[in-house]
Amino acid sequence: MLGFSELQRDAITEVLNIAIGRAAAALNQMVDDEEVRLSVPCLDFISRSEAARRLHAETGGAPTVAVKQCFAGPVAGDILLIFPESRSLELVRLMLRNTAPLEAMTELEREALVEVGNVLLNACLGSIANLFRRPIDSSLPVYLEAGGDAILNLDGEADKEGRSLDTVMFVHVEFALAQRDVRGYLACVMDIASAQAFGQHVEDYVLQAIGG
Amino acid sequence: MAVGTVLLVDDSRVSRMMCRSVILRHHPDWQVLEASSGEEAIALCQGVSIDFMLIDVNMPGMDGVTTATRLKASHPGARITLLTANIQDTIREKARATGVEFIGKPITDEKIEGFLSQGVPGC
Repeated sequence: MLGFSELQRDAITEVLNIAIGRAAAALNQMVDDEEVRLSVPCLDFISRSEAARRLHAETGGAPTVAVKQCFAGPVAGDILLIFPESRSLELVRLMLRNTAPLEAMTELEREALVEVGNVLLNACLGSIANLFRRPIDSSLPVYLEAGGDAILNLDGEADKEGRSLDTVMFVHVEFALAQRDVRGYLACVMDIASAQAFGQHVEDYVLQAIGG
Repeated sequence: MAVGTVLLVDDSRVSRMMCRSVILRHHPDWQVLEASSGEEAIALCQGVSIDFMLIDVNMPGMDGVTTATRLKASHPGARITLLTANIQDTIREKARATGVEFIGKPITDEKIEGFLSQGVPGC
């Protein structure tokens, strides 16, 4: 049986809360201290296809843009920042304030979103690395534009319909700017071996924190 | 200091643009040079006096720590910082070991001006 005990899950959620909180703090600084609301992180062991289906449903099937980084080290996987396409420009405008002329926005939008992703995803990964006291290497951020279901990499074993059978640990959290219609998702996908390693590192962190 | 010269090294054009904007808001008469890679920065700096350098870490080609090490050797009078989204303690330690400072992104007025307002070493 895959998964974690209730206590392990609680500890993992706490570590994720710290990491996502660090990312939210970074976003807060980027948008002039506007409050960033976060949902509780949702952690599941499901197939990649099911993860993609859920993401598709949550984004209402609308076109989405995402920034993805692959990471490796004590744990490995993919971490993504995902926005409904229609709302991403609002965030970019907030972030750039008056540093870019409006006519240049379209050209800059992609680069700006990549930089938002770079900061937020690294805030997340960096705080996890610091808690684990182990370095995590990450790739340069990559920009993706697709439906929510296509954003997740579907490589791996698939059934006759092409649906991925690989089981992964899928974590996602929704965030929103309190005073504007800007929302998005942070999502992380790890294979089972990495998920187990992640659980072990969380356990080590908790033991260390309580002096065990 | 009267007029300063600042070098920004970052593969993100947006990041350079934001940083330039902060610098010029506080120091409108300063000169801001930009490079999109470590290699470009090293070539750009040859024979040029630079007061401040802000260098990203994760870049294609030469990484920021290597770039900072090389530029510190060629420009010992410059105040140099890593300016990066990679906030891991290991990167902070590399900055310390290299003898440069560390600023975590996102870019804010306070962080950039806090760095620039310290002046250059020995002044």
